[in-house]
Amino acid sequence: MDSFIQLDNFVKIMPYTQLFKQGLLVTVLLSLFTVAIGFCIALVLALMRLSNVRPLRFLGIDQDGHQREEGVMAWISRFNPLDFIATAYVEILRSTPVLVQIFIIYYGVFGLVKLPSFQMFGFIKFDRFFPGVVALGMNSGAYLCEIIRSGIQSIDGGQTEAARSLGLSQAQNLRYIILPQALKNILPAIANEFVVIIKESAITYTIGVQDIMSAVNAVKGATFVIIEPLLVATAIYFCLCFPTSKIIAYFERRMSRGDKR
Amino acid sequence: MATRDSLIQVSDLKKHYKMGVIKALDGVTVDINKGDVMVVIGPSGSGKSTFLRSLNLLEEPTGGAIIFDGVDITKKKYKDANGNMVKLDIDKLRQKMGMVFQHFNLFPHMTILDNMILAPVKVKGMNREEAREKALALLDRVGLKDRADAYPIQLSGGQKQRVAIVRALAMEPEVMLFDEPTSALDPEMVGEVLDVMKELAKEGMTMVCVTHEMGFAREVGNRVLFMADGMLLEQGSPEDIFENPQHPRLKDFLAKVL
Repeated sequence: MDSFIQLDNFVKIMPYTQLFKQGLLVTVLLSLFTVAIGFCIALVLALMRLSNVRPLRFLGIDQDGHQREEGVMAWISRFNPLDFIATAYVEILRSTPVLVQIFIIYYGVFGLVKLPSFQMFGFIKFDRFFPGVVALGMNSGAYLCEIIRSGIQSIDGGQTEAARSLGLSQAQNLRYIILPQALKNILPAIANEFVVIIKESAITYTIGVQDIMSAVNAVKGATFVIIEPLLVATAIYFCLCFPTSKIIAYFERRMSRGDKR
Repeated sequence: MATRDSLIQVSDLKKHYKMGVIKALDGVTVDINKGDVMVVIGPSGSGKSTFLRSLNLLEEPTGGAIIFDGVDITKKKYKDANGNMVKLDIDKLRQKMGMVFQHFNLFPHMTILDNMILAPVKVKGMNREEAREKALALLDRVGLKDRADAYPIQLSGGQKQRVAIVRALAMEPEVMLFDEPTSALDPEMVGEVLDVMKELAKEGMTMVCVTHEMGFAREVGNRVLFMADGMLLEQGSPEDIFENPQHPRLKDFLAKVL
């Protein structure tokens, strides 16, 4: 009976070190791009959710031109299509599996839109990598949206009142007063999302992105060794995520020391 | 009083919620004249803050009118001099009304100086250097010039409120609204803020002030309004209100606070 882990199996997979190195690079790049795209999507979604666009606003104004407070008309007048779309997006992406989303993006969307098939850094297949980034970015955008929204809503309402009473417009208030404070508060949460995506990105090997998991698969196919490459992958993921989250925790503590209110 | 120009005319101002079950404001009518120091007193929940916040539309009234600069600002649209319907520019309006809050509401991520020049630069389009000089002069007036580069967190409550007052003044408003400016302060800091307000009153600034400082109302105010249950129950000079109260609610209130 063989033991669970055999040392000579590690020797067997040694020649494939290069694959793991490439996988590591792909995973890190994938996660960085995903957070960047996810953040942009999330910011737009969060602003849509907090926007005050009301095309039916006129229904909420009574004959003398005052705002109606109650009633069906007041309720309808508050309908905000941007908020509706953003909320629908967030809820759909949070309530369906990432795997399904990745397949839909890869086979569905990028089955119709042909991507140029060149290789980044000489080995990363762009037509696999890009759909992976898009799918993960869209998914993480939904989660980041809620982080950003809560960050914006956590800012005291008095800030907005002060800004508006000084004559700042809604947009100026957002840009100069609310967002700078909100983003500082949610920076640790965004960094944590980065750690989550490093782990979640493993799923993209199912559409042929050459990340760490795909290196495991390649080695498995070539050597018929299974457990040991998995252990190597585990070690790599751990070495990526554990220090990152520790660093984030360190900065989180330092930042909260700065502004005791 | 007749010699003074009217600045804001409030008539039958109403703010109702829940289909009229809750009446935060229930028909307030008052004229605010240029140079008035109007002090609003009353028990908590009487609608005095709602009244003040309605003046610059932080609360939207559900009825009545507020005429400011010849325009009813409670309406979303108004007829201009040429008879065209124009949308009310609420930001423009608020520039002319400075507001000071109970909890200061300084912007914590900016220095005191940046707090002060933000609106003049971004809203009025004032040149940065000019705004800076003006801000420093204002800070000097309240004795805080040396704290220009400090952050709000480094200031005491009284200092924060003094900054908040000059921040509003930097926009050169026509009227200043004070919403319980000393209520969140430690007792020993109340005086320094009231001193700044007295100074301002002496210079002829039009002020509307919601406060629990009866001493200030008596000494500095030229008109006192007493509100309860969303209604303006009595108004008059400080002498009338404090020495010769008529309404039983006012008598009751004064018996409790004096």
